[in-house]
Amino acid sequence: MPLPPNLTDEELVVIVRDKDQELYSEIIKRYQTKLSHYLRKFVRDNDELEDVLQDVFIKAFRNLYGFNSGRKFSPWIYRIAHNEALNHLKKHYKLDISLEEKEWEVIDEKMDIKEKIDSRLLKSKIEHCLSLMKDKYREPLILYFFEQKSYEEISDILRIPRSTVGILIMRGKKILKEFLEHELYGRKAK
Amino acid sequence: MNYMEEKQNNKLEEKVMGDIKGGKLKLRSRYIFLAEKLGVGSALTLSILLAVLFFSLALFYLKASDNLIYLSFGSLGFYAFLESFPYLLVVSLIVFIFIAGLIIKKSDLSYKKPFGYLAIGLIVFILAAGSVLAFTNIAEDIEQQSFGPGFGPVGFIFRPFLQNGLDERNGGIAGKVVEVDNGYIIIQTPRGLTKVDLSELETPLKEQLQAGSFIIAIGEKKGDVFEAHSLHVVNENDLPMIRRGVHRRFGLLPPVPGITGTAAFFTNGNPVNQ
Repeated sequence: MPLPPNLTDEELVVIVRDKDQELYSEIIKRYQTKLSHYLRKFVRDNDELEDVLQDVFIKAFRNLYGFNSGRKFSPWIYRIAHNEALNHLKKHYKLDISLEEKEWEVIDEKMDIKEKIDSRLLKSKIEHCLSLMKDKYREPLILYFFEQKSYEEISDILRIPRSTVGILIMRGKKILKEFLEHELYGRKAK
Repeated sequence: MNYMEEKQNNKLEEKVMGDIKGGKLKLRSRYIFLAEKLGVGSALTLSILLAVLFFSLALFYLKASDNLIYLSFGSLGFYAFLESFPYLLVVSLIVFIFIAGLIIKKSDLSYKKPFGYLAIGLIVFILAAGSVLAFTNIAEDIEQQSFGPGFGPVGFIFRPFLQNGLDERNGGIAGKVVEVDNGYIIIQTPRGLTKVDLSELETPLKEQLQAGSFIIAIGEKKGDVFEAHSLHVVNENDLPMIRRGVHRRFGLLPPVPGITGTAAFFTNGNPVNQ
């Protein structure tokens, strides 16, 4: 069945549910890179990442009728991915967060770390500092910085009020900056 | 996307789609989600309604039983107040509020607003609705069905919650005077006739005791006799639960001023002139 152009995720889900389940492959195509990118923050091993991602798509498919088509699909499937990532972390030893190429630069830019130091060192420091942060600050930061999610979407993914998202991101940035300053220049984090 | 990533993505897509096409992976029925939603909605509605009802019953209990009046004795009445407090009602009320709060917190209904605001809103709603309900006769009907002749399922469910309002206490007593004698009185309580010993009164009586008066006293239960330390005459309308309990137990018997001696009252625990 040829897909109409500009079909939204939400419309596609309705078609998959009611008419053609095979079109679920289109949802997989649209989301597997994005979700893989997100899950990479929690799962380092490639095989494990693939397993988690597969579980996400299986759970999403099984529960498609649980999705309210009046709302956005992206936060819904990210929510499933988020829960799967947390389940994975519960079962496995928590390693440092793994940033992809260039991602550390986002932090460098936002945190305004002026002194230039070796980029590889900075990347590893940022990864380490992110890992040191409490989940409640780290998760919104990851979604905001690396997944470019809006406050509204983060609110839907993490199931917290929009105003709280803003507060957590603001505090998270401050904490991360303090950690980084401590790591890089030995200043004591407050 | 590099070659390896693309290959991995295709593999994942093939695996999931293979399961779907092969019938191994199926959609959960929409009715399961509908039932879940209905279940959550019903549980929330039921817990809120029960919290409202229990708050209304607690207000009724405080107003209609002897519980609050014990506080008019000052610190001396505190023990009787604690003894007659509607713990089961209040605990149930708290449990229902807690359940409603938990359902709101765990469901998708609430996360857009800070839970604190919702919790305050929920409590205010329950208190307001319960207070409005207290102006109706619902609580009194429940009491009648719990202890009256038409004892049925409603009475069976609610009786344990109101029972403490009519139970015997060690530190307090309330009832209708049927006999006044030297140093003691006999009163009708919802449980039967009780002799109240007045010889140990610590505060002098402000009013003359006479048959037909309603009294409330604090003191100590000693065997079959209640030794009063302080006693007040009250309007029977201040103790409607006790008054109705007495009437259910003894019928609408007028006070019997002429009767002397207590033996007649204790025939099978019932008044002989009923």
